Amino acid sequence: MRFTVLKPGLQTTVQAGPRTGLRHLGVPAAGAADPLSLALANRLVGNPLLAPGLETTLNGVALRFQGGGLVAITGARAKARLNGERVKLHRTLAVAAGDELEIGPARLGARNYLAVAGGIDVEEVLGSASTYLPAGFGGLQGRALRGGDVVATGPAVGTPEMLKTPKEFRPLASNSWALRACYGAEVDLLSKESRFDLFDTNFSVGFRADRMGLQLEGARFEVTSGGRLASAPVFPGTIQCPEDGTPFLLSIDAQTIGGYPRVAQVARADRHLIGQLRPGNHVRLLWRDAESARDELLAKHNYWGEWLPGIRAVI
Amino acid sequence: MSPGVRLCGDDIVSAECEDTGTAQALADHLRESGDWLECVAGIASCVAQFDLATTGAEEAMQRMSTALRAAPAAREVEAAVVEVPVCYGGDHGPDLDDVCERLGLSREAFIELHTGREYGVDMLGFTPGFAFIGGFSEAQDVPRRSQPRVRLAAGSIGIAGGRTGIYTLPSPGGWQIVGRTPMQLFDTGAAQPFRLRAGMRVRFVAIGPDEFDAWCAE
Repeated sequence: MRFTVLKPGLQTTVQAGPRTGLRHLGVPAAGAADPLSLALANRLVGNPLLAPGLETTLNGVALRFQGGGLVAITGARAKARLNGERVKLHRTLAVAAGDELEIGPARLGARNYLAVAGGIDVEEVLGSASTYLPAGFGGLQGRALRGGDVVATGPAVGTPEMLKTPKEFRPLASNSWALRACYGAEVDLLSKESRFDLFDTNFSVGFRADRMGLQLEGARFEVTSGGRLASAPVFPGTIQCPEDGTPFLLSIDAQTIGGYPRVAQVARADRHLIGQLRPGNHVRLLWRDAESARDELLAKHNYWGEWLPGIRAVI
Repeated sequence: MSPGVRLCGDDIVSAECEDTGTAQALADHLRESGDWLECVAGIASCVAQFDLATTGAEEAMQRMSTALRAAPAAREVEAAVVEVPVCYGGDHGPDLDDVCERLGLSREAFIELHTGREYGVDMLGFTPGFAFIGGFSEAQDVPRRSQPRVRLAAGSIGIAGGRTGIYTLPSPGGWQIVGRTPMQLFDTGAAQPFRLRAGMRVRFVAIGPDEFDAWCAE
């Protein structure tokens, strides 16, 4: 099956699972910024959980199908229309040749995911089909979708089923988020007061917010590195604090090495939430030690595993 | 537990290393074990990410401590020298004058100093193929910019903390930009996608803006 892009939206890309094991060569993860939502969409169309799908940014996408098949939409709270008629998120939708599907602007959260039975048919680059925009590789020619693009999907496998995500497995988007986090490697470079502020500030997400990272505004942090810190490895979820005092939360496209103090690390259990943060959202960091962060991850795996077997590879 | 081994997140362990060579050797050793998701060498540390679903933090720290004792002290240096053409100053190097002022050098003297020796590639990182190149000790006290730039052109050559860095791709960045190379350092279509590798030796060669344009046109 194929579809044509009618309206590409602000930044719609093909995303699947992350690139792994290549950070020492400077190759970032990429992949769905909210992998849980991608997995939920794929579940509804019978795909492997991290099969390549579309990730929209803030204002949706519109497509016209050239053949029939099953699709599903998850992620941010948004209105979707099939040939002008409202359709629900978190449901398997059957589309036919000529049908037009539109995902509207995200009202809560930042990104929607569209899965198509069979997955988006793109070649893997460095082990993943995911688009890494800064280097222009992966996905559809390494770039965001444009109006007029024709995108092919792979052969659907398994028996088609019309499903809906059970209510208890639909993540809630919000304007206000809590992210569990552990201390980072250089938390000691923060002044005593700033260390306290880190877990006591109602941050708001700044306008510099993309797949690489997001600025967290709300308090001015005092760091004492003098700009001469030895560059050190960073990961999605790392919170760095440059000398200008505004912490920066790294997301899924994060660079592999950073030169600013790493003051905190968002726990693995909550990293998938970073993909739904948008400018103006409020963020609180909740301190955890490594042991309780692990218990919470295992609890999350246990919970979601009931609907998404294989969740351990997703979040 | 070895001193210098510590957690820097729920699923990330860091080991302090004497120098970049030791960090590289430890990262290679960890990668060969297959026990880790990512093994990345920094300038003076080696940081590894483990699968928190199967491994607890204590166990990971123990593994890192054991590896620290078992890993070789350094990695071998390669013999080939790669010449990297650089157009210094002007639009290609907006921070050149600031850096010169900080070092008390004229532009000409800076370029002579920067091109007058061989360097070693300490590591690749930041973005695909970004090369951290050590051995510019005169610029030890040149800091990063306090506010990183939002977008740097591909090929930008930056200076910070006694090192030279090459931004392979357009990206945000905080190093002081002194010039730009027209050389393509990362190509997913190539058999070897990364032109530079850790352990390689590099020499910078000054070119003018016309040569830069000619190179790009090729």
